[in-house]
Amino acid sequence: MTGRFRVLALLLTAVTLQATLFDEIRFDGVSVEYLLLVSVLAGFHGGPERGATVAFLAGLLHDSVGSTPLGVHALVFAPMAAAAGHLSVRLIDGARALALAGLAGAVVVGVVGAAGVGALFGLQPDGGVDLVAMASMAAVMTVVVAAPTSRVVRWAVTGGLPVDISIPDGPRAEGSAAG
Amino acid sequence: MAAPRPTGAPRPTLLILIAAALTLLTLQYRGVEPLEAFQRGVRDVIEPLRSVTDRVVSPVRSAWHGLLDYDELRAENERLADELARMRGRRLLAEADGELLERLLGEVDIGFADLETVVVRIMGTPPGNFATHTIEVDKGSDDGLAEGMPVVTGAGLVGRLESVDRARAVVRLVTHPDFRVGVRLVGSQDEGLARGDGRTGFLVIDAGVRADAVVKAGEVVVTSGGRSRFPADIPVGRVLDPGDGIEFLREIVIEPAASLENLSFLNVVLVAEERSFDPSVLLDPGERSR
Repeated sequence: MTGRFRVLALLLTAVTLQATLFDEIRFDGVSVEYLLLVSVLAGFHGGPERGATVAFLAGLLHDSVGSTPLGVHALVFAPMAAAAGHLSVRLIDGARALALAGLAGAVVVGVVGAAGVGALFGLQPDGGVDLVAMASMAAVMTVVVAAPTSRVVRWAVTGGLPVDISIPDGPRAEGSAAG
Repeated sequence: MAAPRPTGAPRPTLLILIAAALTLLTLQYRGVEPLEAFQRGVRDVIEPLRSVTDRVVSPVRSAWHGLLDYDELRAENERLADELARMRGRRLLAEADGELLERLLGEVDIGFADLETVVVRIMGTPPGNFATHTIEVDKGSDDGLAEGMPVVTGAGLVGRLESVDRARAVVRLVTHPDFRVGVRLVGSQDEGLARGDGRTGFLVIDAGVRADAVVKAGEVVVTSGGRSRFPADIPVGRVLDPGDGIEFLREIVIEPAASLENLSFLNVVLVAEERSFDPSVLLDPGERSR
């Protein structure tokens, strides 16, 4: 299966889960932000550029199954994924707890950001404390399903290869290899 | 061999994607039909899976929320909610009819109780966390529904259809901040434009009613009809706060007639054609006749 088909399969599965299973599981009316999770993880595992592209498509699908104009979530998800890609390389690579906290923060920012973009384009989402409370609840719920999703997203966006990078250490590495 | 994690500069790609999203938003804002068709297509493709999931998850959901006798309690709750809704509707209609029966009968083209409707079941809120003051119902264009059709219960107006797919539709509730409906105050016969007030769960009439009009708390409010998309005389609610006409800015708060909680079924009114809102309904009857 090529990389593009993997990503396509990932997105179709994610949008189906968002519109079915995770639409049913709600706490206080709040559901898991599964497509946002996939977007952030795509940036985390696939890097800023690939992550932004996957996130853009995820955003379009989110806008299609939800009741938002096409582009609202795409406009927010793509920068989120790009930021996650940068941060994963520079700051929190390997630190699991920090990664989860960062993921929760990303979900909060993503939900609030989508509401902000929606408000700019004439929608009337909840605002203020209600919005932050809802985003926080969504973040907690989303983090719960992050671990299994992370493996699938990594498989899809990296072509199934491990993401760890082994960088040869210049002449020393060459020397030891020769030795 | 390990796959190198791409760390190259994403800016050109990101900028292109942001520009694309803004372009799509702008096009949709202008009502470009292919984009809406794309969204409908995605929803229609997923719809069978959603229906299956609804059926599979329904027992789990009941257990999740429930007690041992949950189903019986739910059935009883639905019966009582339905009965209460009908009683409230009858009471409002009786008050309205008793007060101004002759005049209303002379003006009404279609009676609220005689409207042709389709019964729909509430499925919940649309997917995601963005859709406030909207609910999803289990029928769509295959059942004759179309965008803009009024949605009612026995008690009165609930909202209107915002978007309609083949097998599902989304209802914009009367409390949605973008909801607008032409209304008539039954006591004073003043007409105005009511809008949803969002978080409060009420409607507000903030246009059309004269600042010096005599409006009493408890007065019944119905749809004004005319060229509005809503047929006339559907109960909307009751005046909660008549407001005052300070500097010609008057806001009359209405409590919706139809309770929006614990609903399971709704009626969609099959309006033959979508009618645009006529601003002249905001004028008082004397000015209109001139």
